[in-house]
Amino acid sequence: MRPRSAPFLLATLLAVLPLGAQATVKAQVIPVGPLIAEDPAIQKVIAPLAEEIKASFGQPLVNAPQGLFRGRRGEENLLGYWVADVMRLAAQGAVDAPVRFAITNSGGLRSNLRAGQLKVGDIFELMPFENELVVVELTGAEVIQVVREGLLRRGGEPSSGVLVKVEGTAEKAVLTVTWDDGKPIDPAAMVRVATSDYLYAGGDSIPTLKKGRKAVTTGITLRQMLLDECAALAKARKDLLPPPAGRFTVPVPILEAIRDKKLSTL
Amino acid sequence: MERRTFLASLAAASAAGSLPLRAEAPPAGGRITLLHTNDTHSRIEPFGPGNGAISGLGGVARRATLVKQLRAQLGPVLLLDAGDTFQGTPYFNRYKGRLDYQLMRMVGYDAGTLGNHDFDNGVGLLLEAMVAMETLQHANPAFPFVNCNFDFKGAPELGKRVHPYIVREFPGVRVGLTGVGVAFAGLVDPKNHAGITWKDPYESLKPVIKRLREVEKVDLVVVLSHLGHNNQGGSAPCDLLLPGQVAGIDAIIGGHSHTFLDAPVRLPQANGETLVFQVGFGGVNLGRMDFAVAKGTVRAASGAAMPVQG
Repeated sequence: MRPRSAPFLLATLLAVLPLGAQATVKAQVIPVGPLIAEDPAIQKVIAPLAEEIKASFGQPLVNAPQGLFRGRRGEENLLGYWVADVMRLAAQGAVDAPVRFAITNSGGLRSNLRAGQLKVGDIFELMPFENELVVVELTGAEVIQVVREGLLRRGGEPSSGVLVKVEGTAEKAVLTVTWDDGKPIDPAAMVRVATSDYLYAGGDSIPTLKKGRKAVTTGITLRQMLLDECAALAKARKDLLPPPAGRFTVPVPILEAIRDKKLSTL
Repeated sequence: MERRTFLASLAAASAAGSLPLRAEAPPAGGRITLLHTNDTHSRIEPFGPGNGAISGLGGVARRATLVKQLRAQLGPVLLLDAGDTFQGTPYFNRYKGRLDYQLMRMVGYDAGTLGNHDFDNGVGLLLEAMVAMETLQHANPAFPFVNCNFDFKGAPELGKRVHPYIVREFPGVRVGLTGVGVAFAGLVDPKNHAGITWKDPYESLKPVIKRLREVEKVDLVVVLSHLGHNNQGGSAPCDLLLPGQVAGIDAIIGGHSHTFLDAPVRLPQANGETLVFQVGFGGVNLGRMDFAVAKGTVRAASGAAMPVQG
């Protein structure tokens, strides 16, 4: 039996003739049809839910005239910088004290924010997880180590509060990390750091974050934090703009060595 | 026998295909088609524009049509999923996976396994999604989950729903299904897999495959794997290394790495071969593998990815 709108040209339909000692494969071509129709029973379930989702997630948030993008390899993750900046500010608000550094994971940013009017659903797609903002205390040396681990794992995880520079070659790479005002980081100083409960629990292999002391679980999901920031910008009649580039300076050959797992120390 | 009658019976026999020659004898073999998805990630609707090569592809309602058409054409079919059903669109945030599993039942899935993201909202909400699927009023039966390398000792309600293996019987083919999941460390927040311990997938599979072969006497062993296709030279277990570590697997339906393959990778074995397949993510493609089995051995196998195109 061939359905009239068989949707694809398919490889091989197996026919075993005869069954027993020797089996042979007979190819049968199924006619190509361009479309697979939607199953009406399933569509009937989905349609009203899609309407509901569209209604709540279609609400306009803020204008992002340039969009915010994770960047391809070799480009900086400006979307990640924005998320880390918002984390640092939200953490300061939550603990009512200065927070010097924030780090998130690029793998947790699930989509770019395309240029134009952002909707609630765009932030859900960017940050679908229920991860919470966490504030911990690390030494300056540990902050540098966290940056190093992020670099070795993924070529640098989006951060706020620091400037990161890698120089030299893949054989001999040199890492320099300073505060974002260019001042050196005192390895012994104890500073507050914002991150997610996922990273603090050891997610995405930045093990030094687990050393965080006096952890404060804020109860704010990263997504809610971003939604609030967008709403605040819109209320102030401001556009959402990407933070400037220049936080991470890593030569492309070193990024390639990291990708190919050929850079073990930094 | 008159020549005309003989020809007629011959025609009937070949039309019947896999029917046994003598009705009372068990069939010496048969055919089975595995249809599969992985990492559907709450992609209920097709991908919208702006998603590059996958724009406009996928969607559960279209997948349902395709599955229905193939079932009508093929007869013995198992529809399977390799995990990470959850997380990825606002549907998951709103319905917490209940909708994903309920739609899978409506589409007619026969079994699934668990990926790391299926734990994103913790054990409690994962269990709730399974219960919502089981209690749905629908003609299709509820589908079970398979996994043999999670120890559910501290999460018995979830453990009751995840079987180390299941066996499905078709004319001339007994199919054994099991599953393996990726390590939680670094992927799943410890509070979200409370009570469940990860064990080495290779070591967990060995006794299960042995039992499926020797005690359950299955003809075809299928592993739903959420380990990832290729660990790129690392030490983590992965689908491409699995057949070399565990003998007796005919098909690995993979997930986790979102690897787009047009056709299964065929890895030769001491006794036959293992087909290793994975079809991207988001329900963009439906995977298909066909097996002809006779006397407990795979005699022929093939497979292809089918785009779910509307």
